[in-house]
Amino acid sequence: MERWAEEHLRYLLLAPAVLVLLALTVFPTVYMFTVAFQKFNPADPSASAFIGFANFARLLVDDKFHNALFNTLFFTTVSVAAEFALGLGFALLVDKHLRRANFIKTVLLIPMMLPPIAVAITWKLLYQPQFGVLNDILIRLGLEPLLWTSSVDTAMASIILVDIWEWTPFIFLMILAGLAGLPDEPYEAAELDGASAWQKFRDLTWPFLRPVITITVLLRVMDAFRLFDQVYILTRGGPASVTETLSYYIYKVAFRFFDTGYAAAISLFMLALTVVFSMWFIKRMRLED
Amino acid sequence: MKLLGKVLAGAVFAAGFTGAALAADLTIAVPNGSEGDGLRAAAADYAKKTGLSIDIVQAPYSNLFEKAANAGATRSGAYDLVLMDDPWLPFFAENGYLEELGPYFRATGTDGPDSDFLAKSVALCRNPYNTGKYVCLPYVGNAQMFFYNPKVFRDHGLEGAPDTWDKVFKVMEDITKRGKRRYYGYVLRGQEGNPVVANFMPVFWSFGGRMFDAKGAPQVNDAAGLKGLEFFLELKRISPPGAESFNADELGTYLLQGAAASSINWPAWVATFEDPKQSRVVGQMSYAPIPSGTKLGSSEIGHWLVGIMKASKHKQAAFDFMIWATSPAQIRISAKRGNPPVRFSIFTDPAFTSQKQFRHYPVLMQAIMNSTPRPRHPKWPEIENAFGVELSKAVAGRLGAKEALDRANRAIEKIIAR
Repeated sequence: MERWAEEHLRYLLLAPAVLVLLALTVFPTVYMFTVAFQKFNPADPSASAFIGFANFARLLVDDKFHNALFNTLFFTTVSVAAEFALGLGFALLVDKHLRRANFIKTVLLIPMMLPPIAVAITWKLLYQPQFGVLNDILIRLGLEPLLWTSSVDTAMASIILVDIWEWTPFIFLMILAGLAGLPDEPYEAAELDGASAWQKFRDLTWPFLRPVITITVLLRVMDAFRLFDQVYILTRGGPASVTETLSYYIYKVAFRFFDTGYAAAISLFMLALTVVFSMWFIKRMRLED
Repeated sequence: MKLLGKVLAGAVFAAGFTGAALAADLTIAVPNGSEGDGLRAAAADYAKKTGLSIDIVQAPYSNLFEKAANAGATRSGAYDLVLMDDPWLPFFAENGYLEELGPYFRATGTDGPDSDFLAKSVALCRNPYNTGKYVCLPYVGNAQMFFYNPKVFRDHGLEGAPDTWDKVFKVMEDITKRGKRRYYGYVLRGQEGNPVVANFMPVFWSFGGRMFDAKGAPQVNDAAGLKGLEFFLELKRISPPGAESFNADELGTYLLQGAAASSINWPAWVATFEDPKQSRVVGQMSYAPIPSGTKLGSSEIGHWLVGIMKASKHKQAAFDFMIWATSPAQIRISAKRGNPPVRFSIFTDPAFTSQKQFRHYPVLMQAIMNSTPRPRHPKWPEIENAFGVELSKAVAGRLGAKEALDRANRAIEKIIAR
């Protein structure tokens, strides 16, 4: 009995986690695959009809989907690029000059620790055109107030700004941890050889950090790609759909229009795009190694 | 082994607790805000009176729709009763999520709701509209009104009631012009989706616009619709900057802060205007029916309706509660709690109309009697979204009025054909 327990205990201990994973991740994903090929009837799933690739064909002609895809790609590219540049810059600065400044590190982490909904509601108040703090500051500085999330010209930029504020600390933290683990010897040797700061960064820091950068950028891209909460609170996809992202569009299709089959098809497309990007990005970073 | 025993005992206890929680006599889903608070308070009174255990699930507007629709789709029986916004009704009724009330009425010796309910309110509860079977009862009597500050309007030359857009617009434009970006003649609700559609519909109707022709084909882009949208864009021009993203809260804030003279809004705001803790315009606001354009002005009706879910396991208890909660005595209490009534006897009761905070009742009743329901179509949420997207583009200046309506018409055609 004792021997049996020893052999099987690990399976027993793992079983609850595996069951939860199967129930909450594997089953919904498999179910989504099946639903994406149906004209799904949420009122009576047994009355749903198999329609082949019709839901995927709709993706080609649905201009709201095209708009949401463009917005998502634009948001992801700009916000992650800006966060990466700022996060890397801050990390290099803190690593070089403020290694022991734990207070600053803690302060920089605050935005990331706040619930996303609280962040979005706070920014909604800051952005309010007539009564918001930001416009009050602009007016006091003698500048023209902005419409922020209310204008088609600035709405997406306003959402990107919130994301940068919230998630730059994540990249900063990851890269700072990577920098802390770098060996001193190569830098000492480079110093003796008279390498400039840029040469040391290009030939030592960047290659050493590449694994950390890969995982950090990948995590941020995947997270940014499914942006929902800021859009939901700040703009509801407007004005004129300039901030409607794929996640928000899927939410509307699935839970406002109950067009479940089509929502599953968009979700599958989104999943495929994320997987393809991740594979390409990892491969590319490995090739550079 | 002892530990395992404790864990098992804990699990059994937890399961029992959950079972007990699920075993409420009635579970009612209501929205956040005064409408939901009102029914929640009524449910608490009913529980005290009858000894029933009643669970209330309260959620924000859009989440309530999702929760109730999911419960209907999965036939979970999670809710016995749902307090629904009236445009949701075709979706719930056409998909078979609601219990037909005819047999319950007949068992009490009546054919349907009594004649004290306003006819327009009861019409919403039949599916199809006004002719079909009863699937709910009206609980909160919302219809849009024209909110305005009569003193400011008078100061800018408006004599008499704000009864036509032509007359009112000149005044509102003048107020905005002289307000020098600190005070506005009108505040438009232009947020994409339901908000902009809800704000546009009364203007659209007052210029003779109609969503569908007699055969059910969309016709939002006809000459009348175009006239309506062109006028709506004029209203946007005299509204505060950023109106393309405003929802009801922003409208309310502008009026409460004394930064705007008028808007089209829902009566739930009336009580807030009279609350000195929240309002800088206590006693200053007045209410009127929607002004007329080329046709008689008509409000969008937006009642809250209480219906029994088909999958409910406590249908008779739910019906009994529903009848009690919509009785004259309870609607009177509900009105005192801030929810507009649905009964003629309450609207016309001098005990209410003589009080300051209920002085809008005659106008509201008139607005309900002369209201238009949103088109009763099971795909209305999707149609409304498509329409709202194109309206939002027009309001944001991305599309001209004609192009926006043409695109909206095509999008609605596609949705209906699918």
